[in-house]
Amino acid sequence: MTGERPIELVLLEMALLVLLGPLVTGFIQKLKARLQCRQGAAIVQPYRDLAKLFRKGTVQAVTASGFFRSIPVLVLAATVAAGALVPVLRAGPPAFPLGDALMLLGLLALARFLTAIGAFDAGGAFGGMGASREMTIAPLVEPVLMMVVFSTAVAAGTTELGALSAHRGTSWILDWHAADFLGFAAMLVLLPAETGRIPVDNPDTHLELTMLHEGMLLEHSGPGLGCMVLASHTRQIVTLGLVAALFFPIVSYGAGAADLLVGAGAFAAKILVLAVFLALVESSYAKLRLFRVPQYLGIGFVCALTALALRIL
Amino acid sequence: MTGTLLMAACYGAGGLSSLLARWSGRLALGVGHLAALVGAVAGLGVSLGVLVGDQGRTLTLPLPELFPFARLTLAVDGLSAFFLLVISLVVIAAAIYGPAYLRAHSPGAGPARQAAQVLALNVFLGCMAFVCCAGDALTFLLCWEGMTLASYVLVVAGDRDGENARAGLLYMVMTHGGTALLLVAFLALTERAGAFDFAALRAAAGGLDGMTRTTLFFLALGGFATKAGVIPLHVWLPRAHPAAPSHVSALMSGVMLKVAIYGILRFAFDLLAPVAAPLPFSWGWTVLVAGTISAVLGVLYALQQHDLKRLLAFHSVENIGIILIGVGLAMILWRREDVGGALATVALTAALLHTVNHAAFKGLLFLAAGSVLCRTHVRNMEELGGLARRMPWTAGLFLLGAVAISALPPLNGFVSEWLTFQALLGAASRFHGPAGLVIVFSAAMLALTGGLAAACFAKAFGVTFLGRARTPHAEHATEVPPSMIAGMVWLAALCVALGVAPGYLMHLLDAPTTGLLHGPGASAVVTAQGPLVLSTALTASGTDATAISMTMVAALLIALTAMAWVLRRGLRRAPPRTAPTWTCGMSPTARFDYTATAFAKPLRFVFAALYRPRRAVIRETAGTPYVFQRIHYSGEVVDLAETQIYHRVQRGITVLSRTIRLRSTGRIHGYIGFVLAALFVALLLFGVGQR
Repeated sequence: MTGERPIELVLLEMALLVLLGPLVTGFIQKLKARLQCRQGAAIVQPYRDLAKLFRKGTVQAVTASGFFRSIPVLVLAATVAAGALVPVLRAGPPAFPLGDALMLLGLLALARFLTAIGAFDAGGAFGGMGASREMTIAPLVEPVLMMVVFSTAVAAGTTELGALSAHRGTSWILDWHAADFLGFAAMLVLLPAETGRIPVDNPDTHLELTMLHEGMLLEHSGPGLGCMVLASHTRQIVTLGLVAALFFPIVSYGAGAADLLVGAGAFAAKILVLAVFLALVESSYAKLRLFRVPQYLGIGFVCALTALALRIL
Repeated sequence: MTGTLLMAACYGAGGLSSLLARWSGRLALGVGHLAALVGAVAGLGVSLGVLVGDQGRTLTLPLPELFPFARLTLAVDGLSAFFLLVISLVVIAAAIYGPAYLRAHSPGAGPARQAAQVLALNVFLGCMAFVCCAGDALTFLLCWEGMTLASYVLVVAGDRDGENARAGLLYMVMTHGGTALLLVAFLALTERAGAFDFAALRAAAGGLDGMTRTTLFFLALGGFATKAGVIPLHVWLPRAHPAAPSHVSALMSGVMLKVAIYGILRFAFDLLAPVAAPLPFSWGWTVLVAGTISAVLGVLYALQQHDLKRLLAFHSVENIGIILIGVGLAMILWRREDVGGALATVALTAALLHTVNHAAFKGLLFLAAGSVLCRTHVRNMEELGGLARRMPWTAGLFLLGAVAISALPPLNGFVSEWLTFQALLGAASRFHGPAGLVIVFSAAMLALTGGLAAACFAKAFGVTFLGRARTPHAEHATEVPPSMIAGMVWLAALCVALGVAPGYLMHLLDAPTTGLLHGPGASAVVTAQGPLVLSTALTASGTDATAISMTMVAALLIALTAMAWVLRRGLRRAPPRTAPTWTCGMSPTARFDYTATAFAKPLRFVFAALYRPRRAVIRETAGTPYVFQRIHYSGEVVDLAETQIYHRVQRGITVLSRTIRLRSTGRIHGYIGFVLAALFVALLLFGVGQR
């Protein structure tokens, strides 16, 4: 296969995603604050938080084992590696095959699995509770996400994300089939679940009755917590990038420096649209009860199954 | 050739070494396992010789004449060699692990029991190896039966409490039911062929009509599915596998079930396959649907188990299901050029790769669970906890196996599931209509299975190895001896190698795939772009190939881990302080740790329709209803197959036997009357048939 994205470009895109991840979180927080008639923290606040965490010392639970210290490292590495699989600046498969959409979902699942294990180690009930809830939601989200990927992959004949977005081409929403609309709807339903936001999870709270993801981070501190927080920023932008690659059109096919700049601008615009969506949903809905979440995800499942059926029949 | 004989001699010598127990049980254990180890290395040599050597070669070896009516032969072709390879790889680990485990787990065992264990183990291993190498029906059935009987001895030899005996009995009844089906299938073929060897059976099967062929296939499938533990024929498996010593559990779960997969492949693609025509649709769809159901239900029931070995046994049901998804897909696609082509090879490669992968990680997990068991003598994970600090090697190796079985990159479980996904997707895009939908649904269920397996192993690892020790058993555990660790490390290395560099091992799959499908080999299809890259083409034209590189992803992960490690050390190099966990102001005890029951509770709610959970809470109050003295909680989930099928059958049998008892009055006239009536009916039926 002739790749269109040399390995340097892939690594550059990965670094870009990691650097921009906190900015997306900051933007969503700011927009939410404004929607709630508050001034809100600055957009760069997540960067300040990270810098503070990396300067701090570490406090570790007495019961924690040797695994506990390496969990944040492995979680961050797995999440960032998933970032290498998302096309950012331009579409097309990488020059040397790396991984496809299934690999991306697998790496994110690996990060989640390790996070859940880390939550057990401190021996408090909050960690286990968070891990239990997260690992209840995750198996329900993953198959639906895969079905959405399959619904576009069946049309394109590949599961490689770069090739998928190249297949989507420059066609705008007018060229979409019914299956695309349904798949996109399913994706929008899943997006809050996968990024850990209302109505599935609430990233702003540390109340034991409501938290999922935050519950697993309680016992991490200092640089370790910094790694975990950076990983969740990265995970969010990677997920948004996945949606962008699957459903949004690309702007140009060119390979020049100007084209790359246009590609970067287009990517930023796509992420911005999705971030606005997330902020609006977070501000206008309440968090669902845990046992309502499967029904909510069921909507996504039906949409994704119908999208696939339309593709195949 | 000499390798095969050497293998037989080693297992035979291992069996005989049980005689040494007359002098020293310890010596018998050591020599018996050493013989098994040498036998496994010989088996490895034989299988590699066939797999690496020139394509299509079959080693045949006529055995000395034992029976006047048939000649026993051994024949090792590509498929046999591949399964022999899988068996040998796990046997090596089990043989290294075994002696120390048996000594540590039951130090009070008498020499008689040790002799029985060594004898049964070697008979079991030898029979298992020679089922795969059998060149005729008689050898196959004899070894098959030997395998069952020897493993029965191993199941009941461990501890002689009532539960083990019941598990063994259920195992015997179920597998002999399966063997009966196999016997009918084989005898129907041998009667037509007039001989026992596979070549004659193949020739005889060529002249069968479609109906008979399908009937015979379903008989054989029923027999093999019982042994493989396909739902709903799985009920013996979660009872019998945990009852055996742990390295035998590893062999039973990791390898013995695969012998049934070998049987299914041998029957479907070789013995019963129509000449130059695709297999009937009903075969492949049945296997695919049965595999999907087994995968999902297997992992769902595993989630609610708190017995570590029983949980692993249910995961075997799940993984057999995943293998059968690949096998069924290959059956559907084979020789259908309009839809299949090279995709059948991808599906079969996925199934075979998952066979060896499952053998590696399930073997590893059972051995690690055995290490926990022999140090704590507790199988219930609610009574464990905090073992990671006391048994770091065991914990690390269990975690590796857990990541592999949950199909997470960069380990081997992901590779075979990725290939299965690609085969499913490719098939879905070529079949239109309801068939495509079934395949897509199967893919979605496979994704659900992966997610649930990750949840299950987060629970198993977290509750067993992390947090605080919940009982003194767990508190006083120590690391296992080096020989046991070495056995586990061997399988862990296999998991890593098969995950990080699967392309280099793909040409070992060439001989079985070309031998069965008569098409392109696995390496020509999957590693067309070099050994570093796995690629498959979803569309029939094959232009848009999906390619991944496990090696590159693993390298990227390692590099990123190194970078993250630097970040983790922080800007201020302060030494980490330790502090007790915050438990809302109370002093933390082990009762604050989240339990396995609590962890699995949300999923028990979500899938309540399948679990039918029952719970009973008894509160003892003191005077007022607001002060509890004691709360007793009990909860259980049911196995749907057990309550819906087996209990009904049991009730039916009970009712029937009551009715018969009413009729059997004890007077001889009545019985003579029954015999006469039966004779009359038989004559009527067959006499009409003859004319």
